Amino acid sequence: MPSLFRKKRLILVLVSFILLVALIGFSLRERSELTWPEKFVHDSVGWIQTIFNQPVQLIQGTYANIQDISSTYEQNEILKSRLSQYKSIMQENQLLKKENEELRSSLDYQESLSEYDPIDASVIARSSERWFSQMIVNRGEAHGVERNMAVITGEGMIGKVQSTDKFHSTVQLLSGFGLSNRISAWVWQDDDPIHGLIQGYDEESKSLLLKEIDSDAEINEGERVVSSGKGGVFPAGLLIGEVTKVEMDQYGLTQTAYVKPAADLYDINQVMIVDRSMPTHNIDEIDEEEEE
Amino acid sequence: MIQRFYLPLILLFLLVFQGMAMSLLPGNLAYSDYLITPHWVLVILILITIFFDHDDTYYSLLYALTFGILIDMVYTSILGVYMFSYGIVIYLVHGLKKMLHGNFIVAVLLAALGIVLTELMLFTIYSFVQVTDIPWESFLSIRLVPTIIANMIFFLLVYPLLKGRLEKWAANILSS
Repeated sequence: MPSLFRKKRLILVLVSFILLVALIGFSLRERSELTWPEKFVHDSVGWIQTIFNQPVQLIQGTYANIQDISSTYEQNEILKSRLSQYKSIMQENQLLKKENEELRSSLDYQESLSEYDPIDASVIARSSERWFSQMIVNRGEAHGVERNMAVITGEGMIGKVQSTDKFHSTVQLLSGFGLSNRISAWVWQDDDPIHGLIQGYDEESKSLLLKEIDSDAEINEGERVVSSGKGGVFPAGLLIGEVTKVEMDQYGLTQTAYVKPAADLYDINQVMIVDRSMPTHNIDEIDEEEEE
Repeated sequence: MIQRFYLPLILLFLLVFQGMAMSLLPGNLAYSDYLITPHWVLVILILITIFFDHDDTYYSLLYALTFGILIDMVYTSILGVYMFSYGIVIYLVHGLKKMLHGNFIVAVLLAALGIVLTELMLFTIYSFVQVTDIPWESFLSIRLVPTIIANMIFFLLVYPLLKGRLEKWAANILSS
């Protein structure tokens, strides 16, 4: 094939290669916002997906309903037995809430880190490229979604908002978390929570890595890991997962815990995007004031 | 000439459906340990190259670049990778097609070659920018082979549906 190596083609290939490198370089920068063509494409594709999703959701919903009906009797029995328990817990809960509010008001400490306003969203598509753990949800800037907000399901946290468009946004799942996506987290223990940072995801064990734990902290398997609300925009108290394994790091200075995500990262239909009630920028302002 | 819009519409539909399939299929099927990646758009592009394009028309290349960058935008956060891979592969297939007859065996071989080349290029580029860090051997067994099998099944499904139509549209559009 001598014709393949003609000059014109060589130049064409070189130019496209340069273009590729330029485009990759452009998208690897830390971008706080997408360019308008990207937003436009995301939203247009999102609308089409929403339209096609309607009938499919209907069929899926009916199927799930039929399945539910067949197991209704058993579930009903179990639920009845739990109902009485819940009543007493609810009363206790209300009492505690009231007490908490009173204490807060006496302390002049109105908003807490654990309060949040959820934005309900449904998943309309996932990335077809398996090396990107992303999904597209049908809520965007117009509904108050912002970058870096936490995304949860009923079972626990599943990820954070990676980028937003006008009416849709892209969610980065926990399984795609790299070193640059850190979550400040606590290992929940009765007396004193142990602090650590979620950094990265281990493909092999399908667990998140909780690093920077004090070397003398005692962590047991099965203990729960929740977000601490310190740093970033996540509210406190979101369940992330359970500890499955603890390891001393290379130099024996810190420990690393393997955390299995509590939520199923694959079968997701409905999610909540979590908007912390306490504004994030307040913290910075307070810091600045103190520095002055 | 409404027929002109059939091809872009089919491609757009598959692009949209590629992502929806991943969320609609049951989790244990779509998310087994094998990283099966749908390349439906690419399969159709290869069919277009073989049965629609003449030797001197480059519709398939134009569509490859357009829908490549659309996939980049919608499903990945790094632009240009799919555009480059699809573009190069379709250009190669277009060049090879000139030397071969457009029959079933040739189409199967070119489709398989196209998918393999695309996967290799995606793996190389994504390894460079550290989107993935799996070693070459596990890439071969958990991603490349399952992806080829899955996409060739799709190819065999759409081949009888599209072959005749593409040739008809080509006769109508390109000769007018």
